[in-house]
Amino acid sequence: MKQFSILLQKEWRENIRNYKIFWIPCVFILLGITEPVVNYFMPQILEASGGLPEGAVFEFPTPSPDQILMAVMEQFQTIGIVVLILAYMGTIAGERNSGTATLLYVRPLSFLSYFLSKWTMAAAISLISLWLGFLAGYYYTLLFFEELEFSALLQMVGSYSIWILLILTLTLAASAILPNGGLAAAAAFAVYLLVQLADGLLGANWTISPMKLPGYAAAWLTGNPRLSEFVGAIGLALLAIIGLIVLGSWAAWKNKAKTKV
Amino acid sequence: MSLVEVNNLTKQYGQELAVENLTFRLEKGTATALIGPNGAGKTTTLSMLADLLSPSSGEISLADGLTVGFLPQYPQFFPWLTALEFTEMAAKLSGVGAKKAKLQAIRTLEFVGLEGALYKKTGAFSGGMKQRLGLAQAIVHQPKLLLLDEPISALDPTGRREIMDLLKSLQQDTTILYSTHILNDAEEMTDQLLFMKDGHLIEHGSLEEVKSRHANPRIRIRFHKPAEAVKFAEEHSWKMQVLTDSVYLSVDKEGSSMQQVLHTLSSEKQDILGVEFQTASLEEIFLKVVAGQ
Repeated sequence: MKQFSILLQKEWRENIRNYKIFWIPCVFILLGITEPVVNYFMPQILEASGGLPEGAVFEFPTPSPDQILMAVMEQFQTIGIVVLILAYMGTIAGERNSGTATLLYVRPLSFLSYFLSKWTMAAAISLISLWLGFLAGYYYTLLFFEELEFSALLQMVGSYSIWILLILTLTLAASAILPNGGLAAAAAFAVYLLVQLADGLLGANWTISPMKLPGYAAAWLTGNPRLSEFVGAIGLALLAIIGLIVLGSWAAWKNKAKTKV
Repeated sequence: MSLVEVNNLTKQYGQELAVENLTFRLEKGTATALIGPNGAGKTTTLSMLADLLSPSSGEISLADGLTVGFLPQYPQFFPWLTALEFTEMAAKLSGVGAKKAKLQAIRTLEFVGLEGALYKKTGAFSGGMKQRLGLAQAIVHQPKLLLLDEPISALDPTGRREIMDLLKSLQQDTTILYSTHILNDAEEMTDQLLFMKDGHLIEHGSLEEVKSRHANPRIRIRFHKPAEAVKFAEEHSWKMQVLTDSVYLSVDKEGSSMQQVLHTLSSEKQDILGVEFQTASLEEIFLKVVAGQ
């Protein structure tokens, strides 16, 4: 674990100096703010864009706070996940292809520490971004709409965090396994879509599927998901994360000969 | 036992043999030059010794607890790290304690002539500076075995001279294996020569051994005009060759000695420009050995 802290310091410096630690949270905060703000100003926006006949009257149902936060989650599910996959697809493959990994691999390197250092930094930035995004969204929801219990938000974001970690770990493992960042991103998307499709088609009875985690997370806003199903899904997701970390570390070691010399 | 023993080392990529049946030893405290044309398998061999590549067959045995430093031909650095940050990290990852690592990194960077660039990001480094930093990361943990892939080829003549001097000063407590195609430099720092071509070892031995096998010593007598050289050749029955204004006498068992030549020249009162004893340079030997395969 001594190597882990040495490598984590390197990752820390990298993520600060390439500004990932700043711009990724910014994207999530923007996404988080957009939903409540756009919903609140919808009548004015429509009016300003014109095209409405004189005297037309529209009744907008005021969305409930949980609907707003679920819409925020939908933004994160699409744009947020795309941003994270693109930001971290080259984590390991990129180091191999540029040859910067060579001077690490010729040392007595622990590949578990190597993978974990990258995972820890990427996970920290992703989770901080996620939390800041939801907190910003929550703040504007309170400002423009009704109250929502803070504990409900914590439960929702906490559950959703496990889901994001799963996607992120999948991306890093793909980056260790595949020859370049583009392929890693494509594979991460493909796995994500395929599993989601499989879950949609065949998963009706498989209630502890990690793919249902975003749904269970959202359920905390209006009440609570069925606890046994929720705990099962979280447990499976954690197992998958650990499995992907082991697989990624092994693949990084296995592919060390592919680094540019 | 030798520090490093390589036996029948082979590396195959699909149908292609990058290295085939390579066998050699590295003795403690020696410098070995790995010489060969492009594509001879030098980088593959060094990569296997550095444990980046695993051999297809054959074996590499290193002495117990042997620490290794490796400089690739084109070292790549994380552009957002400074030279000191990178070298310190390299030292720590190679097992140098946290307290010693920084001091050792600074000393090493001074040693390779980068004392002015400790806090500069490596992304802004020139080619020559990268080569020096590459050497620094290879030696910062004071390895017993140093593997260098073309350590001086990318440098200008001044830089080349400096790095050669640095390497020579390391030789006392480090065993060095380096590949090069700059043969003048190899001649300067080598206890053992390994000639490779197409993945094979085609000649090896100490500089003296290789030279005695291939150097073809000769005496050159230079005349004022080509015609005089031809005339001299016609008048003497020595084993010789005429080339423009000079005759080349081969010096071997049945050939002539310098003493004989000087005696003849003075007694005949030959009007010449000069006489000199010549042996083939390493470069000529290399070309001859490679062509002879």
